[in-house]
Amino acid sequence: MWLFLATEVLFFGAIVLSWIYCRRWNPAGFDAGAQQTQLGIGTINTVILLTSSLVYSVGLAFIEAGNRRRLIQCCALAWALGLAFLILKFGIEYHKDFAQHLFPGPDFAINGALGGGARLFFVFYFVSTAVHGIHMIGGLILVGWIILRARGDEFSPLYHTPVVVVGLYWSFVDVVWIVLYALIYLVGRGS
Amino acid sequence: MTAHFRNLLVTWVLLLVLLGAEFGASFLPLARSDRPLILIPVVLMVAAVGTMFMQVGRGPTIVRLFAVAALVWLCVLLGLGSLDPMTRTDHLVQAANPK
Amino acid sequence: MSATTIETSEYASSYLTDGFTLRSWLLTTDHKRIALLYLASITFFFFIGGAAAALIRYNLLVPEGMIASAETYNRIFTMHGVVMVWFFLIPAVPVTLGNFVVPLMLGARDLAFPKLNLISWYLFIIAGVIVVYSLFAGGVDTGWTFYTPLASEYSKGHVVATVVAIFIAGFSSIATGLNFIVTIHRLRAPGMTWYKMPVFLWSLYATSVILVLATPVLAMTLILLAFERIFHVGVFDPALGGDPLLFQHLFWFYSHPAVYVMILPGFGVVSEIIPAFSRKRIFGYNFIVWCSVAIAVISFLVWGHHMFVAGTSIYSALVFSILSYMVAVPSAIKVFNWIGTMHKGYIRFDAPMLYALGFIGLFTIGGLTGLFLAALGADVHLTQTYFVVAHFHYVMVGGMVSAFFAGLHYWWPKITGRMYPEMWGRVGAIIIFIGFNFTFFPQFIVGYLGMPRRYHSYPPEFEVLNVLSSAGATILAVGYLLPLAYLTWSLRYGDRAPANPWGATGLEWRTQSPPLTENFDETPIVTDPPYNYPPPEVVQRRV
Repeated sequence: MWLFLATEVLFFGAIVLSWIYCRRWNPAGFDAGAQQTQLGIGTINTVILLTSSLVYSVGLAFIEAGNRRRLIQCCALAWALGLAFLILKFGIEYHKDFAQHLFPGPDFAINGALGGGARLFFVFYFVSTAVHGIHMIGGLILVGWIILRARGDEFSPLYHTPVVVVGLYWSFVDVVWIVLYALIYLVGRGS
Repeated sequence: MTAHFRNLLVTWVLLLVLLGAEFGASFLPLARSDRPLILIPVVLMVAAVGTMFMQVGRGPTIVRLFAVAALVWLCVLLGLGSLDPMTRTDHLVQAANPK
Repeated sequence: MSATTIETSEYASSYLTDGFTLRSWLLTTDHKRIALLYLASITFFFFIGGAAAALIRYNLLVPEGMIASAETYNRIFTMHGVVMVWFFLIPAVPVTLGNFVVPLMLGARDLAFPKLNLISWYLFIIAGVIVVYSLFAGGVDTGWTFYTPLASEYSKGHVVATVVAIFIAGFSSIATGLNFIVTIHRLRAPGMTWYKMPVFLWSLYATSVILVLATPVLAMTLILLAFERIFHVGVFDPALGGDPLLFQHLFWFYSHPAVYVMILPGFGVVSEIIPAFSRKRIFGYNFIVWCSVAIAVISFLVWGHHMFVAGTSIYSALVFSILSYMVAVPSAIKVFNWIGTMHKGYIRFDAPMLYALGFIGLFTIGGLTGLFLAALGADVHLTQTYFVVAHFHYVMVGGMVSAFFAGLHYWWPKITGRMYPEMWGRVGAIIIFIGFNFTFFPQFIVGYLGMPRRYHSYPPEFEVLNVLSSAGATILAVGYLLPLAYLTWSLRYGDRAPANPWGATGLEWRTQSPPLTENFDETPIVTDPPYNYPPPEVVQRRV
């Protein structure tokens, strides 16, 4: 799994490089775009994912100690938190973004000198969050699979490798969000 | 076992503290080129998740090797990739078509 | 390693006889069958790419361009590049010879993730279908490099379809790379330490590391390119505040290591063949294997040398130029090691060896000309000319394709249980060598004299050399068709192959030809160092 995560690091790394370039060439416009993001929702989502990662790790610790019931409860909670993230992000936040014409299409909200940079910001925003969201959905499927296997009594203190492996993936998706959160919501704000 | 649970909880609290720090820092009146400093807490948060939740230190050596390799390659991509735009000379050009 | 190996092959049962239905092939998880599925697929793509090459050389017979408008010519060379790079060269050795030989060489039953291996092939096929569709629907005119803003904004070709196909093919590569790395870590036979592994395995390991780390960057780049093309935003468009060089940086971050993905397996194949046909231990084993690793690492640090005249900063160009000189060093060390292996060896000039020797010569020329291009000053004159075209065809075609044929002939008896006709094998190797040099050496000259690449017409003073090049291409085509003919012939009429027709070392030669589905009756135990050639011994071959 670590090897697979290495591929993911480079996958997301590429779009971070494009963040660096776009901000370098259009700092004013880029930051102007960033200021249109929903800081509140973004921050709540970050807390949700951090907690979800904690909860899953706690579940893993439980099965290491032999407590199958707690493992299932923790995975279920982690799963629910993940779902909450997706609903907030794609149900509510994207809805607001589109309503405010922030998608870099023909009716983009910001025009004039800052428009180019702002557009580029939102290209970064939509591509990176969409790709992250797809990875979250994959994570939900994997965590759900762990819950099913745990209910089938397949894990014990001696064998719970799938739990560890899925946990790595789940925490990694969290790590990606930690980076994206700062790049999207924080760097351009307040200037 | 309780020690491990406590460590996880402490890590989570630390993560929230760092989150608060970077959140607060984003409102500081920093110069535009200094604003990326807000990313310092990010590095610490990633390290915390990597060591405490993902337990990268716990596994066999090869796992640590892959994790280090991923970081090194990321640094090559971002570092060597940024070398060009950071050192290019900007020749100012008249904006031709206002698009 | 004893001299008395298994007797004549038991072709009564092997992996080939283990199921004759279409289902048993299309749903197989046997790495050997998957290797053959891939072999058929990449051969198909080789012919599509080759047809495009034929059209290119035909067009360049006369200065004003024989057949096509400039627009059509652009689509032809793009098709040639896209198909040859992603659907032939990058997969070639790893998915055919690698898939087949790696578990055998390790003493394992299969790869670590056999089902993932099959999924890899299906992804490749899906990608192939999409790219063929896009070609027949009119193709793309951007060149295989998809430079923006042509590709993102102005091209009228099927950019998105082609890019989607490459994206999917990329996942096929990543899956293969993951599979090989895990297999080499976990499935070695008892006693096979890292330093007892044949060089081929080290090469494929290095190749897999590159595949796994570079391809994801391409994936994200293609996503951004497609997004820009569909929504007309300006990530790569300077008119909208974007940076066309960002595309080039991202693209070449993948594509430069990708060319090492293409050549490293070739190094591995040659490193197997030279000891076998010199009957001598490989010279400097430790150097060769660590050079493979070094090449894999340094290959990631040189991508900017494709962009020297694109407008990058001079400091960045300097750094990339120096690093590009460094990457040549491990390759050169390997060449010296191969020559050292042959020195005082007992050399046989069978077809695999002829191809391998051709590889060494042609790759060296190609590699050295790369150094010309890595020099900033020289590159200003040579870039975007036929000099570059000749350089990479020397390494890719003269090098890699020769190595592929070398390996194909070397392991053919193991894969099919048949010997190919040796005389025709040698004739083919020689025709390819001659045809290749006639095709591509003139291109060094016209390039140096200033003929630009990717132009459908050229100034009349270059006509003679172009005609020479096209004539050479005809010879080369004959050289490539010949193996197709006699290898196919050998499937039915070739002599039955024994387990070890070459008298070579390596675990793959300790099992029957062709192998059983499970590869080995019992897992072999490794006690000898690799390439443990004793003094001349009885070699089991046909008379």
